[in-house]
Amino acid sequence: MTSETKAPAGGSIVVVGGGISGLTTAIEAAEVGYEVYLLEKNSYLGGRVAQLNQYFPKLCPPTCGLEINFRRIKDNPRIKVLTLAEVEKVEGTPGNYTVSVRINPRFVNEKCTCCGACAEACGTELSDDYNFGMNTRKGAYLPFEMAFPARFVLSPQIIGTDDARKAKEACKYDAIDLEMKPKTFDLQAGAIVWATGWEPYDAKKIDNLGFGQYDNIITNMMMERLAAPNGPTKGKIVRPSDDAEPKSVAFVQCAGSRDENHLPYCSYICCMASLKQATYVRERYPDAEIHIFYIDLRAPGQRYEKFYKTIKEDAKVHFIKGKVAEVMEDPASKAVTVVAENAVTGEKMRQTVDLVVLATGMQPTAANAKLPADLKYNADGFIINDFEQGGMFAAGCANKPADVVSSNQNATGMALKAIQTLARK
Amino acid sequence: MSDSYFVDPDVGFIKEVSQLGGQDLKKCFQCATCSVACPISPDTKPFPRKEMIAASWGLKDRLVGSADIWLCHNCGDCTALCPRGAKPGDVLGALRAYAISEYGAPKILAKSVNDPKKLVPLALLPAVLFLVVGFLCNILFGVQWLNFRPGGDTIVHANFFSTWLVDIIFIPTFFFAVVVFALGLKRFVADIHANALLEGKTTKEKIDPVGFVQALVRTVPTILQHKKFTECGENKERATPHMMVLFSFIALFIVTNIFFVSLYIFGQHGPYSQLNPVKWLANVGGIALIIGSGMMIIQRLSNKEQVSSYKDWWLLGLVFGLGVTGMLAQLTRLGGLAGVSYFIYFVHLMFVWYLFAYTPFSKLAHLVYRTVAMTYLEWSGRK
Repeated sequence: MTSETKAPAGGSIVVVGGGISGLTTAIEAAEVGYEVYLLEKNSYLGGRVAQLNQYFPKLCPPTCGLEINFRRIKDNPRIKVLTLAEVEKVEGTPGNYTVSVRINPRFVNEKCTCCGACAEACGTELSDDYNFGMNTRKGAYLPFEMAFPARFVLSPQIIGTDDARKAKEACKYDAIDLEMKPKTFDLQAGAIVWATGWEPYDAKKIDNLGFGQYDNIITNMMMERLAAPNGPTKGKIVRPSDDAEPKSVAFVQCAGSRDENHLPYCSYICCMASLKQATYVRERYPDAEIHIFYIDLRAPGQRYEKFYKTIKEDAKVHFIKGKVAEVMEDPASKAVTVVAENAVTGEKMRQTVDLVVLATGMQPTAANAKLPADLKYNADGFIINDFEQGGMFAAGCANKPADVVSSNQNATGMALKAIQTLARK
Repeated sequence: MSDSYFVDPDVGFIKEVSQLGGQDLKKCFQCATCSVACPISPDTKPFPRKEMIAASWGLKDRLVGSADIWLCHNCGDCTALCPRGAKPGDVLGALRAYAISEYGAPKILAKSVNDPKKLVPLALLPAVLFLVVGFLCNILFGVQWLNFRPGGDTIVHANFFSTWLVDIIFIPTFFFAVVVFALGLKRFVADIHANALLEGKTTKEKIDPVGFVQALVRTVPTILQHKKFTECGENKERATPHMMVLFSFIALFIVTNIFFVSLYIFGQHGPYSQLNPVKWLANVGGIALIIGSGMMIIQRLSNKEQVSSYKDWWLLGLVFGLGVTGMLAQLTRLGGLAGVSYFIYFVHLMFVWYLFAYTPFSKLAHLVYRTVAMTYLEWSGRK
């Protein structure tokens, strides 16, 4: 028997990031038979997908896809999930890495039953990042209903306050441990897959589009939360200024993307996201008018093209070729007027709407904070995969802007790359 | 908009526009941000998005005869917001330079003014002209209009370079420029009107001269007050030096006319006393010219966003040189440096000659074309 035909002797794979790409890489590698550590810096898995209302083009809820993945994790003893985990340092060479990990305290242990008594006991309301600050939550909270692991978290902001003490007292199961400290330890790994994902580009930086200045200008990710049944409005799409139902909505495409003053690249998903969000509005408000301002509409592939064609048939969805470059607000009605040149007719137009959605693009997480490993990045912060060197790979949106389908395909491929590194050892 | 349009690209035109400062033209992807970013672009058929596509397609005829390229004041608001760095502001500047050459005649002179390789011959041309005409007059009329040994206790520039010689050269040069402009404007006005009708920018079929002159009267205060400049966001500070230069030109034009009238009607020769109010006006104008153009040069050097090409430095060099040589000629005269002063005066006259002879072909021609284009906009009532 030659050694090539043997199963790998040892070594595990570290996957950094528990969004859809990281989940896929971890599960695919584990299901082949490899040991995987899945590290997630949030207190829950699912990443950006967990914040969506529906996937395009099938318009099914993402919780469905996440649930299947969570099930696969639970059934697989080879995956170790570490939430609130951050990588501090990576040393070593392909096949032999030492990964220093820091686990931030959750202040809630495995005895938690999600009864919610701790949250009720808390008084202070804190801004809810999961909903982009559109509502508040208590200092003790469950990130969202489907959170995995299904366990409450205490915000570090309430530690040392009365709220923390009250939460601990309210817990009947002795699940709250206010003495929990950050832990650091090393993991040995043969390969590392970086699935560190993306962040919505900070719309405040696009100063001519009025985000942060006018109430009724929101981002596409905020729209997902507004439309989501577990969102701040329980799925009701309303104007932030007065909670009124919008009679008209403008979508501003390429808000920050394909713009060398912001993100020079196409973020790939925003056209489809806006088309999808148009269906959110049309479904809820049959009389609402939708205006989509675009440079070019990109619906790659036959399925997306079909989705686009269906929406184009809707007489209440208007497509205008011309980028919005100016916005203004009527101080009395809080309606927003967007200004663009219709490049087809060559006329400047001013469209007044109740709600403006900025189709902001995706920025790789590594663009704002470089990862503590010897990785190569392009000018925009996406990790460049060096297959020659091997050992460490980027999957999903850490590597390039992508939709969920492409991320999953790419993540599966990177699982194989990681396995190859171990098998070659 | 016609249903079909046969695109006949003029590749040479695209290349020339690139060389005149529009080198980033092809980066444009037609998002139309520029047309909205522009604070002075009209709502009907706004610029510069349509100019960007027409230029990159080489549609020369749509651009050269369009008033819209002249409505742009190159403030740079579009360039600042442009997501591609295509610099629409500079492309329009390049298109204007191209249009100036197109409406200028003789064509060889028009092209030479924008050609860096022709700088030295064009710069030396008046020196040769002065010497040839001066010596010819000396010989033919038995005069000393060009006198290299003026002598005398006080320095009088006219003793070296006679006012007769100045006028015999400069008056025909001035009228040459006027004729070039008149011929250019005749075609220009016809073209911009035809273009406006074609693109639906006006509903008025025929230009009525009275209405046009009335529109001019309404436009001039806008220009003098630099109202369009101050609407700009970026490079707003350009308005002040531009205003200084424009007003000093006006002041120096007035001074020159006063000198001319007093010389030929009242027989009063220069140099004037420093206490004479006309002298005050001349000096204030000269100082404003130097400071204004100096500020513009500094701004251009420090502005990394904006393209500065030959045509821009040409004009700034001319204006600055004009001011500096004029002021130095006076200071050296007052300082009693006879030889130096006469030499600088000669150079100053060269600069004045550039101003007269080359204006119809240089960037300075915007004085005429932009004024007419703005008047046309006012007349057409386009919003």
